[in-house]
Amino acid sequence: MTQVTVDGSPVEVAPGATILDATRAANAWVPTLCFDERQAPFGACRVCMVAVGGSPKPLAACTTPCREGMAIDTHDPTSRRVATGVVELVLSELPVAPAPHTELAQIAARLKVGAPRWTGASHDGAHDLRHPYLAFQHELCISCGRCVRACDEVQGAFALTATGRGFDANITAGMDAGFGESTCVSCGACADTCPTDAIVELTLLDGAAARRATGNGDPGRRLRRGLGSTEK
Amino acid sequence: MSQNLVELIRRHHAVQAPTALEVLKAAVAAHGKVTDDDRRHAAELSGLPEAAVYGVSTFYDDLILPRGRRHVRVCTGTACFAATGGDHVDAIREGLGLNLGECTEDGAVSLAETVCLGFCHSSPSVRDGDTIDAGPGLTARVLNGVTRPAPEPGWESLLPEPVLLRRGDWSGLRRALTELDPESLLALVEASEVRGRGGAGFPAGTKWRFTRAAQGEQKFIVANGDEGDPGSYIDKYLMERNPALVLEGVALAGFAVGADHGFVLTRSEYPLSKPALEAALRTAHADGWLGRDILGSGFEFDITIVEGAGSYVVGEETALLACLQGLRGTVSARPPFPAQRGVFGCPTVVNNSETLANIPFVAARGSEAYHALSPDSTIAGSKLVCFNERFVAPTVYEVPFGMTVRELCEDVAGGLRDGRSIKALQIGGPLGGILPASRLDTRFEFDALAAEGCMVGHGSILAFDDQTSMRDVAHHLLHFAAQESCGKCFPCRIGLRRAEEMLRGDAVVNRERFEALLETLELGSLCAHGSGTPAPMRSLLAHFPEELGLS
Repeated sequence: MTQVTVDGSPVEVAPGATILDATRAANAWVPTLCFDERQAPFGACRVCMVAVGGSPKPLAACTTPCREGMAIDTHDPTSRRVATGVVELVLSELPVAPAPHTELAQIAARLKVGAPRWTGASHDGAHDLRHPYLAFQHELCISCGRCVRACDEVQGAFALTATGRGFDANITAGMDAGFGESTCVSCGACADTCPTDAIVELTLLDGAAARRATGNGDPGRRLRRGLGSTEK
Repeated sequence: MSQNLVELIRRHHAVQAPTALEVLKAAVAAHGKVTDDDRRHAAELSGLPEAAVYGVSTFYDDLILPRGRRHVRVCTGTACFAATGGDHVDAIREGLGLNLGECTEDGAVSLAETVCLGFCHSSPSVRDGDTIDAGPGLTARVLNGVTRPAPEPGWESLLPEPVLLRRGDWSGLRRALTELDPESLLALVEASEVRGRGGAGFPAGTKWRFTRAAQGEQKFIVANGDEGDPGSYIDKYLMERNPALVLEGVALAGFAVGADHGFVLTRSEYPLSKPALEAALRTAHADGWLGRDILGSGFEFDITIVEGAGSYVVGEETALLACLQGLRGTVSARPPFPAQRGVFGCPTVVNNSETLANIPFVAARGSEAYHALSPDSTIAGSKLVCFNERFVAPTVYEVPFGMTVRELCEDVAGGLRDGRSIKALQIGGPLGGILPASRLDTRFEFDALAAEGCMVGHGSILAFDDQTSMRDVAHHLLHFAAQESCGKCFPCRIGLRRAEEMLRGDAVVNRERFEALLETLELGSLCAHGSGTPAPMRSLLAHFPEELGLS
């Protein structure tokens, strides 16, 4: 076992445990966006920054292994400033604010992120509503890779991929011809893990509501009416 | 990097399947673009899922930029920028009636941007089909369709006896196989304190020690020849003019750590590198320096040359490993380090190709001789540096450590031509700080340059002359950085775009906000691309604040 301290309190973790494991064991809050405990750590969002005694720079908690005697500080102002800056950047790339129940919105609220200091291009609306149960709003995607890893590591369907690069990076199913034309098995693991609702599962209730409202069995319609922008 | 995808790749590699990237590159070579049929074919041959292949096909410049029957790639690297301020790009765009990334409707001509062609000694440069033309009159030749191959100057060593310019003759491997064992070779490399020449300066012996100690039935050596730094053509010269020396270094690393296979990853922007290395490979096989039971020692080693497809970040070691395996060239968090999980998930040494080119000398002559190469410095060995077209005598030079930057610029490269003077230098690539003319007496060494917010980096010395706008330099560097972000970590993916947007046109730049953004990039980014791009911005803020349009 490895002994560390989290905000001054001693914690014992298993060999190979990460700093994030230790902070969770100590019930200390460290924000995360690209982390999902069902998946291998990815290290993309850079929101889980913490200070560690002896390290000149904040470290990403999700990908840094604990070392014996490590002193972890989750309240470090520099780490928090970086995390807040990153969440601010993420909000600046979305054309609309994330829905209040999403992980992204909740983390932004808890970090008290205000209006982004840096503004510029945001992502164009692009909605893939071809699948009966899964809807994809590409402009809400923050490239955290959780859906891709869920499909790869949890479901083993390999239906999703990251696309493009830099600011234009995004996610798509198969060869960009929709979930239905991919190896997707409609398990919904991608929608389940998505922190922004870029991918949502259209439930049977949505379908029933849509049928009641429109008199047809097209569950994507409710979403389409609500969104009203470019459709694929 | 997905462990599942890497395992799929490993299994297919074991039966000689090509990587997805190789199949997609071949498709572009055959018919100028990647179609869905090509992607399906690549998936079938490589064993990767179709979605993963789609992701690869949308990542690399060579796969996404439309190609006409005549494909013109104009270099927008920093040396070309320093030479023309970007005028050559505008003139060619206007003359061809195409924007960068466009193709005429009839498919006759396409225009794309490329960074960089390694003709920084003769900027500006253009690749027209497979012809790289450069220098005065370039624009007219491009527009008249009469481009011709530009000459490349010879290289020169300032050492009494050249080390990196000495033609590779496998004498280091001969000594290792006949007089040393793997452990004593490794000890020699450690004692020589060979520091990485790719930018980070990490001790090569330490990497080798980790890899040698790592558990694994198979281990690999990777030479990083993905010299993407705009303004640098050092690895280009090494790979094209002295390929046997690089290959010998790879084989020596293999002997020391217990690997039986190596790779050299070259850039597609250097179309001559892969053929030159492959020719040297054939000669080495014919002469018995590679293959089975080399010199009757029982040591078996072979090398494969792999060419990239247009991406700067692939020079980062984890992205390089992804590219080598045919995946998207995105960065992975470390640990695991390549020494634990590299090619096909096996322990792997990744060294810059110049670093590896140092090893034959170390093996043949020992650590004392290696330390003696730079008598005026505590740094061991020699360094290749190269200069841009603004200088009187720009080419690649082998120099000892410890000279001042002024001596390098004035005595070695002859100062600037046309009566111009140095306003500032960018040393070591796009992530290196900017050294103003007032600091030219800084010594060319890791620590001395670091104290000025600069670095040895890979060794390019790029001058901006007295007519250069430093605001334009800042925007140029941020444009490049944002274009080349792999898109994995959030600070780099979004922050570099925001930084570039802040410096676009003549917008007033709020200094406090800009510096807060730089801090987010420096401390938050996953790799040196995002955390290093602020370094030149910090230098510009320190030395040229009045030119940046700050508020």
